[in-house]
Amino acid sequence: MSLFGGLEISASALTAERVRMDVVAENLANAQTTRGADGQPYRRKEVVLQERAGSFGASLSAAMNKGSNGGGVEVAGVVEDQTPMKRVYDPGHPDADAEGYVSMPNVDTVTEMVDLIGAQRAYEANVTAMQSAKQMFARTLELLR
Amino acid sequence: MLFDTTQLALERAIEGAGKRHEALAANLANANTPGYQRVDVDFHGALTAAIDDRQALDSLAFAPARDASAGAVRADGSTVDVDSESAKLAANALEHQAAVQVAHARIGILKAAMGTGV
Repeated sequence: MSLFGGLEISASALTAERVRMDVVAENLANAQTTRGADGQPYRRKEVVLQERAGSFGASLSAAMNKGSNGGGVEVAGVVEDQTPMKRVYDPGHPDADAEGYVSMPNVDTVTEMVDLIGAQRAYEANVTAMQSAKQMFARTLELLR
Repeated sequence: MLFDTTQLALERAIEGAGKRHEALAANLANANTPGYQRVDVDFHGALTAAIDDRQALDSLAFAPARDASAGAVRADGSTVDVDSESAKLAANALEHQAAVQVAHARIGILKAAMGTGV
């Protein structure tokens, strides 16, 4: 059980961080979108991560009193950022209101770039943990030689 | 007995380092989880308590525990510091390697004694 648990845990984090990067990409792509699916300006999306309660294997080993580390991390959901939209004065814009203001998405490009770097670094840290686990397994197998 | 308690302790140390790697990997995986409490496996302490006792070594269980002593390093209450977890992970991998190499060398000695060569 212990042999591939470390790889599974790190793999769950790679998936989660990739979702974060996808959502950042979506936010950046829609930074100027004034018409979303509901006709409203695009709202910034944010990923909520939570500790994974544990796979079948983790539950089994816990039941066998071997202890369990849970199953890593998972995406609990993607929520919309409820901060107010940016109001930009642009009377010529087709989506401008009566006073000439356009509601632009509440996406801040700088925040998104910082989130992107954070997700990228976390991804790299988990890849390193994965490589470390792989080397440990390989070394343990050397006992057989 | 073919293997003495030292060999058994080495085997349990390899297992313990594997469990600790899982705990540290789980911490890194949850580096961005709000409110996450880091976990750790104190296999050194468990081994020290059981060393030289075959029965105790045989029944040793390496259970991960929440690290209550760790203070929050982030505003969301998470106690995971990626740098410190990475350092612990690297040190743990080296400890694992050391245990494997010593165990391997001891098996080599046994092989030599049995006349099969190293």
